[in-house]
Amino acid sequence: MPVVELKGVKKEYMLGSTKVEALRGVDLTIEKGEFLAVAGPSGSGKSTMLNMFGCIDVPTSGTVRIDGTDVAGLDDRELTRYRREKIGFIFQSFNLVPVLDVYENIEFPLLLKKSLSKKEREKIVMRFVEEVGLSDRLRNKPSELSGGQRQRVAIARALVSNPLIILADEPTANLDSATGTKIVELMRQINDIEKTTFIFSTHDAHIMSEARRLVKILDGKIVEA
Amino acid sequence: MPLTLKLALRTIARRKGRMALIGALVAFGTFLIVFGTIFANSTSIASKAAIIEKFTGDFIIYSDKSKELPSPFAFQTPLPKIRDIERVEAALAAMPEVKAYAPYAQNYGIVQVEREGRKVDLPIIYYAIESASYASVFGEVKTYEGSYLGSGSAGGVMISAFQNSEYEKNFGTKVRSGESVTILGVTEGGVNSVPSRIAGLFEPERYSSVFNYINFMDSQTFASVYNYAGVAALPAALDASLAAAEFDEDAIFALADDPGAGAIDLDLLEAESLSGATMIAVRLKDSGTAKDVIARLEADGSLGIKIADWKEASGFYAQISAGLQAFIYFATALVFLVVAMIFMNTLIINVTERTAEIGTMRAIGAERSFVRAVFVAEALALNLSAALVGLIASAIALAAFSGGGILLPDLISQFLVGGGPIPIKAAAWPFVLGVLAVAVVSVLATLYPVSVATKITPLKAMSDK
Repeated sequence: MPVVELKGVKKEYMLGSTKVEALRGVDLTIEKGEFLAVAGPSGSGKSTMLNMFGCIDVPTSGTVRIDGTDVAGLDDRELTRYRREKIGFIFQSFNLVPVLDVYENIEFPLLLKKSLSKKEREKIVMRFVEEVGLSDRLRNKPSELSGGQRQRVAIARALVSNPLIILADEPTANLDSATGTKIVELMRQINDIEKTTFIFSTHDAHIMSEARRLVKILDGKIVEA
Repeated sequence: MPLTLKLALRTIARRKGRMALIGALVAFGTFLIVFGTIFANSTSIASKAAIIEKFTGDFIIYSDKSKELPSPFAFQTPLPKIRDIERVEAALAAMPEVKAYAPYAQNYGIVQVEREGRKVDLPIIYYAIESASYASVFGEVKTYEGSYLGSGSAGGVMISAFQNSEYEKNFGTKVRSGESVTILGVTEGGVNSVPSRIAGLFEPERYSSVFNYINFMDSQTFASVYNYAGVAALPAALDASLAAAEFDEDAIFALADDPGAGAIDLDLLEAESLSGATMIAVRLKDSGTAKDVIARLEADGSLGIKIADWKEASGFYAQISAGLQAFIYFATALVFLVVAMIFMNTLIINVTERTAEIGTMRAIGAERSFVRAVFVAEALALNLSAALVGLIASAIALAAFSGGGILLPDLISQFLVGGGPIPIKAAAWPFVLGVLAVAVVSVLATLYPVSVATKITPLKAMSDK
């Protein structure tokens, strides 16, 4: 069963009095364990498509199935739970909680789950802290970290809840090219080890080349899958 | 520590300056609630005690013919006399709750003194009192020169120091203790004059704003000025003949022709002063029984009386402390309204600044209730900590004033409690009220910012680039 299935997805919204067609009938299937890049120029619709994958936006028409479930039928609370359990997010601006340190930021999604003991949480957090190479930065606040280190924290945070999919919206856009490459390599390495599906958007040709599958989007339509 | 509280405390620490301002306002508001409430209550208690002890007693009885309430300044239109004062006094004497009572009247007249062979008329406003009963209700009026009416003297008038200084200012002379004077009073039949003396000079201990203007005259002098006199007893022969006549009209008129019974030697008749009292101030053993005692007295319509409790009888004095209380509550409410507005505004700024952070939390699985809990925890943690500071400051201030009371400027103190410091009566409930008020204001001020925060969608995290 595919982890993501989009059928005839259209997304329209109003920008002032202008109707914008962000997605114009997208069909796409993504299998478990894929390492996939969504590429396209600014305004092409790649972020909108990622929002559909992440259950944080709903289509105007068409069907979005995540792990076999049509997310259109879920209410806000169910969508939140769905995201908590199935999806990990990595953001372009890292989006760490500024008042929490590295350990606490990574632990955050586990605390929201409420089902794990402190010991269990610690075990999981430490595993991913080591995996992203931040064992010596546990008690540092995000403001005390470099961009690359922050994105590593974000990757670990996305991974701790053992999600089905990790969505990364232009994860290297705010990093220099060397750090960006390292981050993508780290993501691919984790994809190899954990078999977690990675979907990331980018318009950086070098980062695209690291992807195992490339989906190109232009003017709201997939032009290459 | 729960995650919400951890986030709340660290966010407060991160925005120190802004939060310190709000904290200071909340602490001040809490101090105002606790200290202000206790101060207002203490003033109210002290005001009631002072009015009852030194001003009106627990209540004042006056004639049911009166159209006016008793007032310290009722001398301008003196109240009508209490008609059957003996019966009223008997009723009071029979009540076990009554500690003491003092009949008295208010009036005005002239104290005439001789200076260098010339008569000088000095106006006087006075309470006509029976010295012993007045002292039993209000305590003796302390003189700084001469003596209190009736204590080893034949009565007379007592003049306040303020009044005496006014005499000097307006008439170029002062009265002296022990000096012989003539009291002049206007009656229906003309002007009466009675020889008297200045018994003493006094400085009021309480309510100088009232008693600076009110002097004292003994009730016998007052009765003489206004012809409140009668015959103490009929001659024995006439009394016996009247008894023998047994209410037969013809027999009674026939006595006029009987030289043994009808010839009355006026020199043998004994005069008796009648009371001209217009009011009776009553002190109870327990002021809590006032309502019941008043109701019982009023139930006997034949006494011909009306009753004003201490609040009514003191004019606006009783309302001053109530007004102060209202002002403190109003000021506190105003401070809290300002605090609520500033706090709400700050939270909205916080929400705006933290849109991406909230969106991120929502994206990674935090429910709306979690976001709400973070903001409520933030509000409560900040405001309750600040409230604690306010409570401690209140406790310190109360402890500092607990010994000697709060000393206000004399003018204010005179109107509030008749003068002197206001003794502090601390209580626990204003502390509880302070905490509750802060909690309620915190939650109310958080409602709108929280509703804005919980409407932030995970999309805001994605759009934070």
